[in-house]
Amino acid sequence: MVDLTFSVSAPSRVGLKDSYDVVIIGGGPGGLTAAIYASRARLSTLVVEKGATGGLAATTEWVENYPGFPDGIAGPELARRMEEQAKRFGAEIFFGQPENLDLVSDIKTIVLAFKKISARAVIIATGTIPRKLNVPGEKELAGRGVSYCATCDGPFFKNRELVAVGAGSSGVQESIFLTKYASRITIVEYLPTIQAEKILVERFSALGKGSFLLNHEILRIEGKEKVSGVRVRDRSSGEEKLIPCEGVFVWVGLLPQTDAFKDVLRLDKWGYIEVNSNLETSAPGVLAAGDVVSGASRQIAAAVGSGAAAAINVEHYLASKE
Amino acid sequence: MPILKDDDRKYIREQFDSKLKGKVKILLFTQKLECEYCQPTEEILKEITEISDKLVLDMRNLQIDSEDAKGFGVDKVPAIILLGEGDKDFGIRFFGIPSGYEFTSLLADIIDVSNGASDLGPDLVEKVSGISKPVDIKVFVTPTCPYCPAAVRAAHKIAIANPGFIHAQMIESTEFPHLANRYAVYGVPKTIINEKIQFEGSLPEQAVVEQILAALQGADS
Repeated sequence: MVDLTFSVSAPSRVGLKDSYDVVIIGGGPGGLTAAIYASRARLSTLVVEKGATGGLAATTEWVENYPGFPDGIAGPELARRMEEQAKRFGAEIFFGQPENLDLVSDIKTIVLAFKKISARAVIIATGTIPRKLNVPGEKELAGRGVSYCATCDGPFFKNRELVAVGAGSSGVQESIFLTKYASRITIVEYLPTIQAEKILVERFSALGKGSFLLNHEILRIEGKEKVSGVRVRDRSSGEEKLIPCEGVFVWVGLLPQTDAFKDVLRLDKWGYIEVNSNLETSAPGVLAAGDVVSGASRQIAAAVGSGAAAAINVEHYLASKE
Repeated sequence: MPILKDDDRKYIREQFDSKLKGKVKILLFTQKLECEYCQPTEEILKEITEISDKLVLDMRNLQIDSEDAKGFGVDKVPAIILLGEGDKDFGIRFFGIPSGYEFTSLLADIIDVSNGASDLGPDLVEKVSGISKPVDIKVFVTPTCPYCPAAVRAAHKIAIANPGFIHAQMIESTEFPHLANRYAVYGVPKTIINEKIQFEGSLPEQAVVEQILAALQGADS
């Protein structure tokens, strides 16, 4: 059951230069694609990634809707290849978080590992993180049965019963992965319909290890030391019941990672970054790409597209300044 | 057939050629029976140590070399310990196979041990080197967890900054289910400091140092 692959993705940090043409914040598919295009345009390019490259794609066990891979590709492998491709053309990747940012001045500054870096342009590709359910028990039992990452935590639920929350494509796709371990999975959905791609629903149903519970609201997650069940309410009849389980995996949407920018960039009412048709934000020289952009369809293919466009537009922007 | 792909080997060689300074001895404890991942761990370490003449693999057996095992605090296998120049123990332990995402943790640790230092910020190094009580950090992981290497690396970098007092272990949860059970690990990364403080998720290095200091504070009272 243990993943026995040994491959390399960025074992160390780069020696940071004092200045770059473009700094890309976020190393998911959008940020890495921007890095590929920017470095091929011979812009000196730094990608700043706080965790692992690949963003949410890297926590997707198997990606089937990204063109060019007819049999699908493992999310981590896709991420690794994108990273490799960016580095091949000279992009540097720094693992860490900006300690301070000035996006408003003409020359942008980013403080990384106590070092002040300047950039002529910045692309924000910080993406999203899974949204929490915000029900009692969720916070208390996080890491004790409540999880937001199937590839990370799936192995702890061998032959256990699970509840997955959310019948969108992510929820169903990850539930299919979890059937490798779980004895049974109930996918609970607030809406009366399944939102996931049909092909995923067919596949999940064919596995015969799970079922859907639609039009049900999660009231709370129960358990003392660890999860023992999920209390739900039927939204039409109002009837409550307890679904016994040892794990709860939550896929109820995404939260944009824009806290650091909320005072300097214009965001939409959900916190995503507003851009014009050139992917320019409200601050000159600051563009956005990937899932963090307002109205993004939050697909790897879409993030890759906007990453490429953002880098091309940065190139034009920098040329116009010369 | 080699495990490493050619382009990965090439990349690792470039990294090692440019970044390794001193010799690193990779001590591997295994046993013949009832260790599913001892063999593949040995194989990958053989391939890694062949890449640079600064690296040597030193094999030990948990039972036969039980005195050594005791000395290094090894009670389960496979166990990897990285020793720097003069066999200096930097407090770094890997219990279980360092595969998947943890492979990069191992490579980065080898480079750090070879240099006798990591890129931990100078203010954190100062805080950490002031610690004069034993600290034991356990980081539970799974190889498919992209958030885990950051937690492992933070713990290992902290150990490198004060190896006399701080030991940091990566524990691959699926290979040691009894430990995962004992520490109630249902999500990774999960870090446990001195059996007192625990937290889930990968915290910034600064926050991990604060948690260590908090664990030691508690020890005084």
